[in-house]
Amino acid sequence: MVLQMAQSITPIREVEADNDQILVDRVRLGDRHAFDLLVLKHQSRLLTLVTRFIPNRSDALDVLQDTFVKAYRSLHAFRGESAFYSWLYRIAVNTAKNHIAIRRKESRDISVSDEASDVERFAVFQDTGSPDEEAGADELQMAILDAIERLPEDLQRALTLRELEGLSYHEIALAMNCPIGTVRSRIFRARDQVVQEINERFPGTFL
Amino acid sequence: MTEALRNSLSALVDQEATEFEVRKTLDAVKSQPELKSYWCGCQAISGTLNGDDLLGMTLVNRVNSELDEVSSAGASTPKVNVKFLPAREVLPSRFGTLIGQLAIAASVAFAVVVGVKVIAPIEMQSVVSSNESLEFIKFQLPGSKEKVSSQIVSGDFDGGSTRPMARILTEQDLKRMVSERLSSYLVRHAENTAVVGGTSVLPLARIMGHDEPIQ
Repeated sequence: MVLQMAQSITPIREVEADNDQILVDRVRLGDRHAFDLLVLKHQSRLLTLVTRFIPNRSDALDVLQDTFVKAYRSLHAFRGESAFYSWLYRIAVNTAKNHIAIRRKESRDISVSDEASDVERFAVFQDTGSPDEEAGADELQMAILDAIERLPEDLQRALTLRELEGLSYHEIALAMNCPIGTVRSRIFRARDQVVQEINERFPGTFL
Repeated sequence: MTEALRNSLSALVDQEATEFEVRKTLDAVKSQPELKSYWCGCQAISGTLNGDDLLGMTLVNRVNSELDEVSSAGASTPKVNVKFLPAREVLPSRFGTLIGQLAIAASVAFAVVVGVKVIAPIEMQSVVSSNESLEFIKFQLPGSKEKVSSQIVSGDFDGGSTRPMARILTEQDLKRMVSERLSSYLVRHAENTAVVGGTSVLPLARIMGHDEPIQ
């Protein structure tokens, strides 16, 4: 049965272009909104990456901002040979390394006679951001997880297979033994419910 | 923000939207900012489930403000006052084109005339020199070929003696030329003699040493 379904269903990925590439093409044509979508899409993963180099959240955000500005300016150099995220990844790592080198040079320039101790001098590398920001992000994440747990089982399963397992709609359709259209609809309804709940609990969170 | 658009946006998050949907959604994002918020919410769900840090719209606003600053700074920089003429003004008129073509034709004609005046005397001079040498050959050898050449050269050369000589042939050159022509003649003669029979009119030693110039 599953095999028959697999043969009857045309995988969407085979007939689609890379959506990131379409967004990039739109940005090249001057569509800044498309670039906003790219930033929103990749910012969380890149922030996680950058905070491995720079634990300070404020500095990490500065680095991330520089990363996206550099990416926007040099988007003409992106030839699409690799995934857009891989290209962003390299820019982010280089920007973070440059940032660390600059900060190290600055810290070396501080004279030894300064009263600041080594701990204070390098505290900037150990600070992980303001407690309010951390608490706000944690609270939001908890609310999202709560909302996902309250979803109906079929919606929850479709969403987690997509987000956690990284399966395509086609693969999820095979796993859940349902058409691709149903998978797409379930994932959409799951997200819709969660976003609406978050907007009700935390108005203006995503504005 | 219709449900269909949100559905397309959700598919776009998963890279599962068709190209038509992507274009339609992106066009809608321009006019409906709440779609961007919805996209941000979808990305927050993805980030939460993958253990990433959440940022919301903060970074987007910062990036946009910096890009706006850069673009406004670029706009405020004084522009160099360079006037680029339109293509129509740069291109010459028909009259100008005609004059240009005539100038090119005239220069080509001039080059041809100068070439004839300069190059031809050199060739003629070499013919003159060979003419003199041919007289010498005629004196030594009874071959009819040389007589013909001499006549042709004499016929071609009219009034060229007044021109300056581009190349002066020395006596050694003349001897060398004679030797070259004589050597080939001797070889031919020896071959003919061998085929026809009878005693050779030239001694063998002279044939063998034909490569040496005749003094």
